[in-house]
Amino acid sequence: MMYQRADEISDEQCMTRLTGPEVEAAISALYDRYSRTVYGVGLKILGDRSLSEELVQDVFLKVWRSSRNFDPSRGSFSTWLYRVTRSCALDLYRKRASRVRQVSDGDPYIAATRDASDGPQEVMDESWLSWRVSRALEALDAPHREVIELAYFGGLSQREISERTGVPLGTVKTRTASAFKSLRTELTIQDTSREPIR
Amino acid sequence: MKCAEIHPNLPAFVLGGLEPEEDVEVRRHLASCSDCRRELEELRKVNRALEAAPSPADPPRHLKDEILSQVRTAEERSSSNEEQQEDLASLRERQRSLEAPRSERSKHLRIILPSVAAAAVVAMVVLGVFFGVLREEPPVATIQLVPTPQEAAGLEGYWGVAEIRPQPSGNQQVELKLNNFEQPKPNSYYELWFVSGESRISAGSFTSVGEGETRVLLNAPPETRNYRTLLITEEHIDDHRTFSEEVALKGEVP
Repeated sequence: MMYQRADEISDEQCMTRLTGPEVEAAISALYDRYSRTVYGVGLKILGDRSLSEELVQDVFLKVWRSSRNFDPSRGSFSTWLYRVTRSCALDLYRKRASRVRQVSDGDPYIAATRDASDGPQEVMDESWLSWRVSRALEALDAPHREVIELAYFGGLSQREISERTGVPLGTVKTRTASAFKSLRTELTIQDTSREPIR
Repeated sequence: MKCAEIHPNLPAFVLGGLEPEEDVEVRRHLASCSDCRRELEELRKVNRALEAAPSPADPPRHLKDEILSQVRTAEERSSSNEEQQEDLASLRERQRSLEAPRSERSKHLRIILPSVAAAAVVAMVVLGVFFGVLREEPPVATIQLVPTPQEAAGLEGYWGVAEIRPQPSGNQQVELKLNNFEQPKPNSYYELWFVSGESRISAGSFTSVGEGETRVLLNAPPETRNYRTLLITEEHIDDHRTFSEEVALKGEVP
């Protein structure tokens, strides 16, 4: 169910190719694998389509420009990309929140404290879990991901999924059960290999 | 019903996707089977995790093309600059050969002079192109950033320069070159501000490599054009999620 084509190069190999002649193919492969996650997490954090699109652009251009900063011995590409995404989202969030901000009286350059409600921290707290679940869903093949998306996000019953997709009811149930099993395994693996994210 | 018949239905049960009669059967079985109840708990964990999942959505198709196009343009520009540098190196080599002893040079004068003339033409074209490229995005301002007195105490070689370039989008690109700019403290990061009177606009946050040179490229929104003071602050977030800041460097747009 979790799939990786045998001829598919790894994320880490793609990163090494970002500084060579195959840069476009490498960035294209990474985009195909991760853009849905970056965009989806962006929508969740920023709650705005236009900002999320800006986020996708910022993130992949930063990946390309900062590829030399990626050190596979310090963690997986996915975790590194999460950090890049988080940092870019934080920038966009703060840029939007503080386009014009009044500074407290007295020294015009120093604001001693900031209203915590302005802070993006709360918004970012859930983003790591969102990222992990999104990656677990992306690791499913298309038919298995489809039944989960239709059931969970679409709110369809197993029978309705069968009718919508034309897939026999028994197969829908089998796929739902297999997808759950894979998600469970994937999230457990991610949990045990969880790396520091700040 | 046996566990083997119930198990395949448990994920759909958790998702609330069973038909009413199947739902009743599963509930009846669960009431008397602790193994299946344990299994159900595990599946509920997955279901709870799904709550954090972003809604499935594809980014617009044009985004990928735009990213690849930006990468392609930058790569082409970079390779074109490399070629120009090679041409300039070749020209320098030829010039060095001209500075060889006169007796030796005269032997080759007939060969060298046309080559030099050709090289000079190449150089003029190359330099024209090279400076043409530079002229596309000249910095409108170069700003010296200096530490505040308390920050400067005991620190040597601690300074920065900001170059501001206008962008076709209306944004201002700010390139920061910071020297010996220490890494931010834990739970801290740096932020660049454009300040005017009591208003300020953030151009984004960044971190630093510490000793040596840190280069940062940031984009400031168009409104910053009338903001004449640049400020770099170190922003702290404490355990209570309150924020504070210290001014690290500042400078004035000339």
